[in-house]
Amino acid sequence: MSSATLDAERQRLGTEEPLLRVVEVVKHFHAGVIGSVKAVDGVSFDIRPGETVGLVGESGCGKSTLGRLITQLIPATSGQVVFDGVDITKLRGEKLRQQRKQLQMIFQDPFASLDPRMTVGDIIAEPLENFGLVTGRQKDARVQELLRVVGLNPYFNNRYPHEFSGGQRQRIGIARSLGLNPKLIVCDEPVSALDVSIQAQIINLLEDLQREFKLTYIFIAHDLSVVRHISNRVMVMYLGKIVEISPSQELYDSQEHPYTKALLSAIPVPNPRVESQRRLIELSGEIPSPLNPPSGCRFHTRCPIAKVPTPCADTEPPLEQKAPGRFAACHFSERVRTV
Amino acid sequence: MPGETLGLVGESGCGKSVTALSILGLVQRPGRIVGGKILFKGEDLVRMPVDELRDIRGRDIAMIFQDPLSSLNPVLKVGFQIDEAMQAHDKIPKDQIERRGVDLLKEVRVPDAARRANDYPHQFSGGMRQRAMIAMGLSNRPEILIADEPTTALDVTVQAQILELLRDLNEATGTSIMLITHNLGVVAGLCKRVIVMYAGEIVEQGPVEQIFESPQHPYTWSLLRSIPRIDADRRERLRSIEGLPPDLIQLPPGCKFSPRCPYRIERCFRDDPQLKEVAPSQEAACWVTMKRAYAEMGAATITDTRPGAASGVRPPKGVAAKVVDARTIDAAEGPVR
Repeated sequence: MSSATLDAERQRLGTEEPLLRVVEVVKHFHAGVIGSVKAVDGVSFDIRPGETVGLVGESGCGKSTLGRLITQLIPATSGQVVFDGVDITKLRGEKLRQQRKQLQMIFQDPFASLDPRMTVGDIIAEPLENFGLVTGRQKDARVQELLRVVGLNPYFNNRYPHEFSGGQRQRIGIARSLGLNPKLIVCDEPVSALDVSIQAQIINLLEDLQREFKLTYIFIAHDLSVVRHISNRVMVMYLGKIVEISPSQELYDSQEHPYTKALLSAIPVPNPRVESQRRLIELSGEIPSPLNPPSGCRFHTRCPIAKVPTPCADTEPPLEQKAPGRFAACHFSERVRTV
Repeated sequence: MPGETLGLVGESGCGKSVTALSILGLVQRPGRIVGGKILFKGEDLVRMPVDELRDIRGRDIAMIFQDPLSSLNPVLKVGFQIDEAMQAHDKIPKDQIERRGVDLLKEVRVPDAARRANDYPHQFSGGMRQRAMIAMGLSNRPEILIADEPTTALDVTVQAQILELLRDLNEATGTSIMLITHNLGVVAGLCKRVIVMYAGEIVEQGPVEQIFESPQHPYTWSLLRSIPRIDADRRERLRSIEGLPPDLIQLPPGCKFSPRCPYRIERCFRDDPQLKEVAPSQEAACWVTMKRAYAEMGAATITDTRPGAASGVRPPKGVAAKVVDARTIDAAEGPVR
């Protein structure tokens, strides 16, 4: 992408009011006498209308929990989730329900997320009926329209989920989420369970739908290549914290956080020549337990450039702007290059 | 070949794992090997008596699986399970088994190996369990190690470590590795030779550089273009492969990929192509091959990847009904707008 179009994209996304503001959100899960799991531990970011923001990290880093906090499927321990100007963590009952219409979710497992005893038509119509938006005849027409939009045969509305393949089921899940004309869709690992050739179909579909319906996406996945492809910006999480936010196009060329760099270095590239040149930055040890995260910077126990104890083990680095549009939480961003 | 690293790629249901299980005679009923030979050092494993095959299994040809947790016994210590693999065969002298168990754990880079040998599988992380499985697989110094999606369940950072481990072990011990995966990046990093499977058949094989640089089968070519790459311009639209892999109960006539292929010709619906040489030591099973697709069908600039899009060939009458069945209708017809 040329720098002119990149600037245009920045400008388009930069001038509008954020659609979603997440402010210092915390989610701790109680784990009995041993304490609490700090799944999400003080996370803040903005998302603008029409943007796709990717969320990556290793398993257990809190990315799915964050997705569920944004849709308020689970209540936050503290912090705010401001959607369209309203703090939805404060809403309860009917008010939250109405607000949630705008906020839909697509799940990872297309087998577990569709009720096997409901027809596809009923599955897609359920949210519509729930909000009293369709009745009788209208229902079939709307369901068929939605099936057509996601590239399925509209006359399949009387079939059951088991008659469909994984990719087709994921299309059904997408049709269900589109029914209420949402503004924001949280996609939690939507292509991880699919075969490679089907992944591309779903990614292209999500891109087309975004253009057509002016959707905003939060795209959660562990596959950084997929996330980078679909997102305007990528957020990298480690142990319940965001460690870096970067425009996707720039992410591969330079990184402001050593963890991002290590993560990128681990991704296999389908090109034997590139692969033979690739240098893996091996992180020592394993991810510490979120029950008892390390002091200071949570990454210091595995970081190749950490200065221990001061400042890395005693002071937590704030997420701050390191370059235009690029944020990182690291005391030594300028040294990431040397890793 | 001895010491070789071979990659077996394809999508789920294309027969990769069944191929591997057949080698070890582990195909479950009602599945059985109905024909063909599997030659290991000149001996046919298919016709070999069960007890002879049992001697080879785990001793000469070992296997590691995708999910290390369900492959380990949860109530036995990890060290014991590795020792058990050696006790089953008499390749390693009995008095050396316990020491070798710990040494193997060290070799696969399990920190504090002597103590960890006394741990149970649940005390190991996913990556560590896979290391333990590799240690078990290598315990009898096998000549071939079959790794079936060994890193699919692991995080990318752990995946990279396991692959590096396999690469080093291959160089150090000369054990041949057959890696089964759907991830082309993993193959590019570890393997010297690659076999691409589709619907139970080999569609292309050859040296890894050649296959990635100039794939000749449209399936291989399409697969390489359908995955997002971390080092590419992210604004380029993915060239998806439309449709679904065929139902293995009702295979299409002719070439199995013809219902999804943008470059198909009439003959593809009639005759099933056999593997033939398309370049030195590279074989593909295709009537068209990408050489012709580039020269005659504009493959270099193709944007429409729908079936038959580049060649303009529709399925002949009669075949159509089988190709566009309920399962494939959405993609074979393209999104209905």
